[in-house]
Amino acid sequence: MKEIIRITIALTLSCLLAGLVIGTTFIFTAKAKQHNEHLNVQQTMLGLLGFGPQRPAAPELQLHQVHRYIVKENETMRMGYMLPARCSGGGPGYVWVELDLKGEFLDRHDLVLTPEAALSADDRKKALAGILDPGAEADFADTMIIACLGDRRTAYLLPGEFPGFKTFIKAMVALDADFQLLGLEVIEHEEDPGLGGEITQEYFKNQFVGKSFEKIKRLTVIKEPLPADYERYLKSMGLGNSGLSESEAADIRQRYKDQDIHALTGATISSAAVTNGVKAMVKKFAYRIQVLDQALADGDVKVLF
Amino acid sequence: MAATTKTNMQLVVNGLLNENPIFRLALSMCPAVGISTTVANGLLLGVAVLFVQVFSSCTIALIKDHIHQRIRIPTYTLTIATWVTVIDLVLAAYLPVAYKAMGIFVRLIVAFAIITMRLEVFACRNTVTASFWDGIGMGFGFMFGMVTLGAVREVLGMGTLLGYDVLGFRPMLFFVLPAAGFFLVGFMMAMFNYVETLYNRRAKRGS
Repeated sequence: MKEIIRITIALTLSCLLAGLVIGTTFIFTAKAKQHNEHLNVQQTMLGLLGFGPQRPAAPELQLHQVHRYIVKENETMRMGYMLPARCSGGGPGYVWVELDLKGEFLDRHDLVLTPEAALSADDRKKALAGILDPGAEADFADTMIIACLGDRRTAYLLPGEFPGFKTFIKAMVALDADFQLLGLEVIEHEEDPGLGGEITQEYFKNQFVGKSFEKIKRLTVIKEPLPADYERYLKSMGLGNSGLSESEAADIRQRYKDQDIHALTGATISSAAVTNGVKAMVKKFAYRIQVLDQALADGDVKVLF
Repeated sequence: MAATTKTNMQLVVNGLLNENPIFRLALSMCPAVGISTTVANGLLLGVAVLFVQVFSSCTIALIKDHIHQRIRIPTYTLTIATWVTVIDLVLAAYLPVAYKAMGIFVRLIVAFAIITMRLEVFACRNTVTASFWDGIGMGFGFMFGMVTLGAVREVLGMGTLLGYDVLGFRPMLFFVLPAAGFFLVGFMMAMFNYVETLYNRRAKRGS
């Protein structure tokens, strides 16, 4: 009996000690980590739009963040969108729009929220608390980013996550205004290095680039080896050192445009997970943005994108 | 096993050759087989193991007198998990570039048999200094094994070395798959044993 109590105490103490060490480290590193992650996401977004150190983004490029919520009230559900808009003072602000589940416009409110504050989930919650009915509850669903040059939408950026082989894979997909796929970036994953971990390789990710919306809807994985010329083209995409001439590259692009995704060797599950994840993200988004645009037109809501 | 009588240098060589974690102790085979597909992967996992092993060994050597005999293993696991989490957090915060390359490897380590085993047979019976050098030896030994396996598998499986195309074709794709890892580890073990037999025979003849 005495023994068991001593063991219990020793184990509890060890756990507390370990917790203390981890907790202290977390407190000291959390801010820097968050900052790095934010930078990483920013870089990924610009990278997907084709900008980088060599090709800086146009100064008039605007990235508008749209946050989607599910509002629950008395057993009924509706959708809530937090949209960047010009506020009454003329400066940038946010507007809250509610749609029913069929996508019909219900209601709108102006929000007291600056674009900087809108980046933080806590500040968004605070702003929402002011306008929601008591008893209604808004759960954050996801964020999408709309890239605009002037009044023209140039691209959509969709951060999202989907189940991989082991845990969730965090990724970001870029679409142009016609929902053609511009790029795919894997942000965080825990697939096995050397096997499923290869989903971060250019020759895998670039297979998605240029697929039309019609093709994405039917996209599957095939277990055939990557043809040599296609592989060379995929590896050099965006680097410009493939040794392929303009016309050869265009020819390859044309030939494999409607090709399904070649699975990674030894990692069919990870490959299929990414393919299905991207497919689902794009399909859902295309539906949502069309519904949202229609509702905004019906409700005569002016937004920045 | 009583406290070690080996010098620091002997401890390092011991980890690299005599008691090489992969080829002699046959520990941590899952990661060894799963991840040693390329030199770069092997090296990164090796570096991660080296750090966790050294930190954990030193910690256990430091607190060995206070560990209750019946809960040694849970304490070891807790120590390793703590160090893995701390390294993960610190890398993510201050070395984002390294974190991008090594993050997934670091998080794999908690379940590694080699680290727990070294704590059990060495660190809990020896001084901090000796445990430090033993950790270094084991870490480098693991890294050496991983890089060797990685080099062979990368060249034979993908025709590349360190990502550079050296052969221009893929001789045997089979070598990238986990099963080939086992074959290769087997061959390497046989080779180590053969060298040991030769060495012993010569030593006997000498005496």
